[in-house]
Amino acid sequence: MDKFTNKYLISALLIGIVFHGTSIFFTLESTYDALIHLFFGNHYANDWFESWNYSWYTGFTVLGYPPLVHQSIGLLSYIGGLKFGLFSVAIIAVILFITGVYRFALVLTSNRVVAGYAAIFAVFSSSFIETLHIFGQLPSVVGISILLHALPEIYLWVKIGKYRYLWNSLSLIAVTVTSHHVTPIFGMVFFIFPLLGMVIMDASKEKVGSYQQVRLRIFLKTFLSSFKRIITFGIGSLVLIIFCILPYWINTKNNPITQVPIPHGSRDNFLEVTSSGLVFFLIPWGILLLLFPYIWYRFFSKRYLFFGLSITLLTVLGSGGTTPIPRMLLGENAFNILTLDRFTLWASIMALPILGEFTYRFVEGDIKEKNIKKYGAVYHRVLGGLFAGGVLFMIIFTMSLGYFRPLQPQKIKMLPILNFLKQDQHDHWRYLPLGFGDQMAWLSSQTNAMTVDGNYHSARRLPELTTRAVERLENSKYRGIEGIGSLQQFLTVPEKYNLKYVFSNDKFYDPILFFCGWQRLRQLENGIMVWEKLNVPPLSNILPKDDVPTFQKMMWGIIPVLTVLLAFIINIQFIWIHALKSKQVGFPAYFKFKSYYTGLTNTVYTTSYLWAILMIILFGIGSYRIYIKNAAQINPDNAIKAYYDALDMKRYKAAHSYLDPKSNKTLDQYMLEVAVTDGLLSSYAKLDDMSVETISRSDSTARIKIYTQWVTPLEKIDKTFYHELVKRNRKWFIQPLAYDLDIPPDQLFATNKTFFYNHGRRRITSEQTYHEDVLKQPVLEVLSAKIIQNQDQYSIVGELQNVDNVPADVTITGVLYNNNDDQLASYNVKHQIKHKLIPKEITSFKIDFENIAWLNNEEAKPKIFDPDQFTPIHFDENPVTFNLQCVGNVATVDLFKGLVINELNIEGEQVNGVLFNSGLQEATIPQLLVSYYNKDKALIWMDHSFLSQGIRPQRKQYFTYTLADISKVKNINDTMDNILVNGLPNALISKKLVPNRKEDYAATQLIPIQGKGFHYIKIEVNAYVGNP
Amino acid sequence: MNLKKKYNIIGICIILLCCVGFTAVIKPFVQEVTVLEKPKTSFVAGKEVVLDFRLSKKVTTRLFIHSSFGSTLLMSSTGRFILPTSISEKKGIISYTLFLGTKKLAKGEIIIEPNLKTPLQLESYVGPPSIIAGGKDYTMQVVIAKDGYDNPLPDSTAIWLKHQFLNIEKEETVLSKDMIGWQNRFSYDQSGRLLLSSQVNAKISKEFSVEVFPSLPEDFEINSIRKHNYADGNQIVELMTSVLKDQYGNIISDGTWVTYNVIDAKGALLKTQGSTVNGVAVAKILHPDHKDTWKIKAYVPGIAESNTITIAFEPVIEDYPIEFRMQNREIVVGPLSSFMNQLIPNGALVEVKIINENHQIETLTKSTFEGKAKFVLKKEFYPSGIYDIHIKALGVHKEFKQLPLE
Repeated sequence: MDKFTNKYLISALLIGIVFHGTSIFFTLESTYDALIHLFFGNHYANDWFESWNYSWYTGFTVLGYPPLVHQSIGLLSYIGGLKFGLFSVAIIAVILFITGVYRFALVLTSNRVVAGYAAIFAVFSSSFIETLHIFGQLPSVVGISILLHALPEIYLWVKIGKYRYLWNSLSLIAVTVTSHHVTPIFGMVFFIFPLLGMVIMDASKEKVGSYQQVRLRIFLKTFLSSFKRIITFGIGSLVLIIFCILPYWINTKNNPITQVPIPHGSRDNFLEVTSSGLVFFLIPWGILLLLFPYIWYRFFSKRYLFFGLSITLLTVLGSGGTTPIPRMLLGENAFNILTLDRFTLWASIMALPILGEFTYRFVEGDIKEKNIKKYGAVYHRVLGGLFAGGVLFMIIFTMSLGYFRPLQPQKIKMLPILNFLKQDQHDHWRYLPLGFGDQMAWLSSQTNAMTVDGNYHSARRLPELTTRAVERLENSKYRGIEGIGSLQQFLTVPEKYNLKYVFSNDKFYDPILFFCGWQRLRQLENGIMVWEKLNVPPLSNILPKDDVPTFQKMMWGIIPVLTVLLAFIINIQFIWIHALKSKQVGFPAYFKFKSYYTGLTNTVYTTSYLWAILMIILFGIGSYRIYIKNAAQINPDNAIKAYYDALDMKRYKAAHSYLDPKSNKTLDQYMLEVAVTDGLLSSYAKLDDMSVETISRSDSTARIKIYTQWVTPLEKIDKTFYHELVKRNRKWFIQPLAYDLDIPPDQLFATNKTFFYNHGRRRITSEQTYHEDVLKQPVLEVLSAKIIQNQDQYSIVGELQNVDNVPADVTITGVLYNNNDDQLASYNVKHQIKHKLIPKEITSFKIDFENIAWLNNEEAKPKIFDPDQFTPIHFDENPVTFNLQCVGNVATVDLFKGLVINELNIEGEQVNGVLFNSGLQEATIPQLLVSYYNKDKALIWMDHSFLSQGIRPQRKQYFTYTLADISKVKNINDTMDNILVNGLPNALISKKLVPNRKEDYAATQLIPIQGKGFHYIKIEVNAYVGNP
Repeated sequence: MNLKKKYNIIGICIILLCCVGFTAVIKPFVQEVTVLEKPKTSFVAGKEVVLDFRLSKKVTTRLFIHSSFGSTLLMSSTGRFILPTSISEKKGIISYTLFLGTKKLAKGEIIIEPNLKTPLQLESYVGPPSIIAGGKDYTMQVVIAKDGYDNPLPDSTAIWLKHQFLNIEKEETVLSKDMIGWQNRFSYDQSGRLLLSSQVNAKISKEFSVEVFPSLPEDFEINSIRKHNYADGNQIVELMTSVLKDQYGNIISDGTWVTYNVIDAKGALLKTQGSTVNGVAVAKILHPDHKDTWKIKAYVPGIAESNTITIAFEPVIEDYPIEFRMQNREIVVGPLSSFMNQLIPNGALVEVKIINENHQIETLTKSTFEGKAKFVLKKEFYPSGIYDIHIKALGVHKEFKQLPLE
């Protein structure tokens, strides 16, 4: 071996550590995965041999992910804390990767300068940067790096057959296995098989003298002679793959992943979804894209032939859903489970030696000569400059991706949340973070409190989650119906999960929390709003877990670290000799097969040029098309779309710039108008889709109808707007819509109102609350209740009154039974009720028995988002009887009751009216609760409607409600024998609290209508106040 | 082979040795031991409880004792057993059995009495913490008098129960039974705060408070307050109840819900509501923007109701001008003036229906600004032709038929 230190490798290592080592402090924490690995690291640091983690998903097993990287973080955390562990492991990964690429390049090219160039490009590889700094996939990086280290040893074992090399290679394979399970399995196919092919090719060449003379027969013969070594290595690695992570395989068999596939950008069609194309194709390939012909030319030379096949396959697989080939190759199942970005990563890593080789030839080899000879030295230098510029551009672009398009919410200060959870035994309940992004893992790492959510979806067990293609509840708004649907189920029946606290970092979720009966507790100093649900029991002291035998725990705890130690001991000699050049050793066997870089054929030379030019042209066209698509005012359609996009993103200044400059709508006036609008549509909606229809158009004016679909936490809103546009100076502008000119009568007014305050504990003590500090539960009375069947859906409808003297928060659980009194279903009332009742207030309510949506895989999932849609439970038997458990708890907040029905007109099936806000707070989301009655004035159905705009004090809002067709509604059972209020029979309460009830009251509230299946309706109003 | 044989022999020897050894140890010995004197049977909690058995021979015996707090086994070679404090400090019956080996030598019970010489403790409970006035609802006061070791005092211990309500202060004595002394404290007719305490001998309890809420409200009266009687769609009517009281004259709890039904001239049911403060519930509702008569009645749902009042609203305007400009393509409604001939406040709603060949094309609505509302019918959207135009504002309806639009 050359006794001079390779200065390229040393530079690569130095630059790599400085560049990556400093930048990870700004990137790693906001990557997608790093904090998950940190969380796992924390798990091992707390209890090394425990395989069960209670923090997420009501408990899950950590046997689902090879532990080496996590355990390393855990071990290092004993020195300097969890983040120290994370960053240290990341830096180690960087070193391993650079040296790994160097060794891989060395075995491939047998040229230390070329390998040095490859190592430098490893530092700047855009796919590596992306994997580390954007995705944060540490185990994956460590896995592939160690695998690269194993490759030279495998080569030497097969070539020379010394057992030392076998042990070296197997020890490294063991480390790969324990750091990432997918890497060795696929690495076998994509890296080791081609390597073996190359060894045999080399051996054949030795026999016949040149690669040209190697024929299939000779190749096969050589293969057979090396077969014993190959098979020894193969069996050895197979045993290691199985043995080193045996608990993982046992766990996989016992708990097969039931999770339905979660969409991943790497499976998209990159031409259709350009953002996925950017992230999963353009960035990882980066500068390599320009060199495709050269890479393929080199890889399809005879020696590298098998690498050529491998990289081709990797490239195709990495192209996701762009072509149908990956789906066909992997099969439907594997295609939907695997994230395909790893294939591109491997392909780009495989190409690094060739990139190194190209650079070598370009900088100091035959390409340089050719260029200079053909076009002159200046041209060559310019070309070199451009190439280097391209590399730098890709690095800076990739590194800054997370800065310009934040992948995560702003960094959240966790301390206030941690303090809150520690105080007053709040960690005796589960919590749920909303809008935290991957930072939820960081929160979980720091607290003992548990959450129902989690960030490792393969480990989920609750069918509410495994049946949904939802990454996390925490970001469910990005997952449409399935996301919000999952979330709603957790929020409606929180008792089931002992879920009492929600930390909301995104006000989008506030309305659904409110209408599911949650209340705001307080805002923490970091701006996170804490919501709580009353009447949720704390967690039991002993929680269920799936235990595994001790031998598995021991294996899991000991083997991974042991593999590292063994690998270190076995390879120490190599490291010692090679790093410190302590001893002169001969060149490894593969140095005999050095390529000599002369005579790049003109075809390749020209093709490479043409290809690079083509790429640049394509890039240009792509950019231009994106510009044209986004050029806002070229035509009326674009102008309208741009306007609504701007509104959706709350870029009001941009929105104003699309308004007709001659309309005298100043920016100040416009901002003012925007500031006073609040409500479901303007504050809690995300624009999901829009389509534009031109009603009429002349050269200078146009009238446009725009259908918009908005996703809100409560329901999907379809809204149609009409706009007039004018063309001025070749640009289209929108005529501003009229705004509310109404002037309220009073400049200043006063209202008396009763406020309530509950001390909770009056004594500052960590003991259980004193019994005299516990308030009596408010007494509720159920006035009517029955099971109703509407087509295939069963519901319980009823009316309930707070007959106590204090305000009540109401939770109602309904249970349906069959003829034999077997329980069929149980559910809580969701949002068709007023959850907060002041003394003597009445509300109607309806419980819909909701199933976990699409439990049955064959059911077609709707393509469009509709949070309002739900899956009724399918009953094998008909519900016959029911019981109701109503629980009241003293409520002190959200008692806004200021909405007045100020006008009402009924025309056919339309109820039109005016709501007037007589209170002092803005009713952000008004809700109409409409009850339907039959001709005997008995309640038979209930429905609700949200108003899309809020109502400020002393203002009015028009509403339209379309009456439902309930002609198919059937009354199943209206006996009220099994109704319990706070655990006491309802009949008893009725008799005791309101003995002489005025029964004719109910009839006075009804509005007679001849409708489909009903004769009267009653309208009640409820409202969510966004800023109390 | 030889080696194996050797091991086998050694193994067998060891087993034989063990067998012989153990048999020698396990060998039973029969000894006749009788209990000559049993210990005394009554003790006081907290004092050392020593059970002395006089045995005919000095042997090691074991005593199994069982109390309601658990069981334990004591061992003694003298026949003298000292009960652990965890048992001897608790009042109650303790059964014991004396064993020699597996043979029962004696069986019996001792009684531990509460220690009256220790300082007294009181454990007291009151609940529910809120009740309703009128003498039907009650709260329960429970007192347990205990010695220093947490043992309830013997039955028939006298317990003073005291309470204060408004200007009543009373004191009663109950005797404890089955370890507790208790009483149901029924509410008085007035609402207010009931304070309770208790005392046994010199030991006094802490203060408990029970909220006495008013009973159900009785029927009541309502009235209305308006700034004027005009239907301007802008001012606000205040509806107000008389002071709501229960049958005993208590003002009902603050925050009680009162809902007002408003039935307009067309029979539509409008609704407003208020919650009581000092018995009065105020609700607000906007004046209609057209001539109307409202019948208003208020309810505490299912419990109480008010009289019905009728309020009428006079129209602010009989007629208003409409100006057609630009070949009828610009319609200016107004100026709308109000009852003193002042401009109507901004925001009065004007509705324009455009009808072409008996087919309603569109309804345009605008709110007035400085008394006027301007509608522009652009040629691009309304091609030339003959249109009917209906205009509605402040309850005044106007129709223009066969209007040509150029």
